[in-house]
Amino acid sequence: MLPTVASTALRELSRRRVALLFVLLLPCVFYLARIDVSYQAIRFLAIGVGWAVATLSLFSHVSAHRLDQRLSAIGASPTALFFGRQLALATVGVLVAAAYFTLVAATRDDLPHLSSVALLLLTTVLISAPLGALVSLAIPRELEGALALLSIMALQLLVDPDGSAAKLLPLWSTRELSAHALQTTPAPLTDGLLHFTLTLTLCTALAWTAGTLRLRPVPLNPPPPTNAHH
Amino acid sequence: MTSAQEWGAQLVARLTRVGIEMGEARELAGDALVEAEAAGIHPRAMYGPAVAYADTVAQAVRTAVVNAAPLPRVRGPVILRLRGVSKRYRRRQVLQGVDLSLRAGEVAAIVGANGSGKSTLLNICAGLTRATGGTVERTARIGYAPQQHGVAPLLTPEEHFRLFGAVHGMNRKKAVAIGTGLASRLGWRPRADVIASHLSGGTQQKLNVVLSELNRPELILLDEPYQGFDQASYLDFWDQVFHWRDGGAGVLVVTHLLHDLDRVDHVLELRPAEES
Amino acid sequence: MRQQWLHGFLDVCLLCLLAERRDYGRGLVERLVGAGFDEVPGGTLYPALLRLEKQGLVRTEREASVSGPPRKYYELTEDGRTAVLERQQAWQQFRSAMDGVVSSPVASVEEAGS
Repeated sequence: MLPTVASTALRELSRRRVALLFVLLLPCVFYLARIDVSYQAIRFLAIGVGWAVATLSLFSHVSAHRLDQRLSAIGASPTALFFGRQLALATVGVLVAAAYFTLVAATRDDLPHLSSVALLLLTTVLISAPLGALVSLAIPRELEGALALLSIMALQLLVDPDGSAAKLLPLWSTRELSAHALQTTPAPLTDGLLHFTLTLTLCTALAWTAGTLRLRPVPLNPPPPTNAHH
Repeated sequence: MTSAQEWGAQLVARLTRVGIEMGEARELAGDALVEAEAAGIHPRAMYGPAVAYADTVAQAVRTAVVNAAPLPRVRGPVILRLRGVSKRYRRRQVLQGVDLSLRAGEVAAIVGANGSGKSTLLNICAGLTRATGGTVERTARIGYAPQQHGVAPLLTPEEHFRLFGAVHGMNRKKAVAIGTGLASRLGWRPRADVIASHLSGGTQQKLNVVLSELNRPELILLDEPYQGFDQASYLDFWDQVFHWRDGGAGVLVVTHLLHDLDRVDHVLELRPAEES
Repeated sequence: MRQQWLHGFLDVCLLCLLAERRDYGRGLVERLVGAGFDEVPGGTLYPALLRLEKQGLVRTEREASVSGPPRKYYELTEDGRTAVLERQQAWQQFRSAMDGVVSSPVASVEEAGS
């Protein structure tokens, strides 16, 4: 079931032309806005990619809800439905990340640790997919959910990364990893990767649990067999 | 091409559109043209417009096929039992004291004016909503066709068949074959490249109905899925309901049209409940 | 209104006409006209014949005619003959019931009017 859900979700996503266009181009705009300042450009690019993938994930989960409801009523596993869709979204995210990594690698030669850029884009998209799903469960409407994600991303950019509140934001690891990419003698990766792992696990677990609770049909027993015929 | 031949070509095109095999369609058209020629009348004067004639002919073929071999009616075990079911939303009592016992091989119709809670009752049977009172017992293998949002706008019919088939482990070819076969019983030949939102409203509902039976369920729940059907499709839909019944399934149809109720086994009438 | 009634019973009529003798489409229409009905349009007649054929009650045969293309002749099958007997019985029952309901008001109207 899960592979079918994933491939079907991918096909569905490929037909949302406008949304895909945003996902592809918006991070570019973010990147170009800060192109002259290296560390900011990378950071903005990553946040832009994160926002785009999270919003795509939100839209995908919101629009699929009624059909998912119908499928689980007839016996589909809500887990397969959730992870199938997430797999499709992660795939799109990874493709976008790869595309932008190629862009950065081709256009910049001033980055001390290029591989960290790949890592930071990858971690960003891997968190963004379940993050979008989580927001869709809290705010099951496309416009309002997209605004919520926009607020999270805006906070991400504005909040001082060294402040205590910053670690509560989902893409804090992105900031850490971008610092790693850009500094010649950087701090170790451990903090960033730890935050990434925690955030990913938390977002996925919460979204999966809430999604399953929402979709699971009311348990009903079959009528007890009787021998009487009317 | 003479205008008679043009009429014939239109007839063939329409017949294949509504699910008749090409070979048979050509034969039917050929026969019609020959008869018209023998009578010395233009086919359009003899039979009417090609498209309308095609629909009538196709319906005659389908009805005959369905009624040709009626299976003996066998009533199986109870697959749905509602006892004293009630549903309350905050201060509004939507359902009160609903009782129904439906066996496999029976058809039940839920009727009532708008606002009488028909869709709510069906949602309770489908497991989408919990009843606030009473007991609901139901077999596990169900099919469900909601009134709205039952199909994914961006997926093609075949992708729907594949997805729904996968729920019970059906492989792609089998699911598509079954779906296409069920579609032809409703006079519809799904095209591979058209997404659901580009289908007409009536055709979307045909997809909706086909998906409710794809997994061979024991109980089929239908919420007025005939919106946008023309007369022939509406008759085909009810033929299909009774065909499912004869095949051993139990069918529960929400309807506000009182037309075909004499062939139905149970009629459950809901009245709008008062505000409390 | 009467023509609508005929269309409801069309299958029965066609079966009974064919029980008398085999015929082609136009021939059946002419015989119905001769019996006192309006002309049944081709768009109604041929689907009805097709339905009977698909149900196995009627079989068809192409026969070359003297002038023009071969015509399609319709003939009852064994199942068709059985069906005719059934339907004749059903019609008798229907007709007596109908007579019982319809006759009385007409009689009283006539009496009242005269």
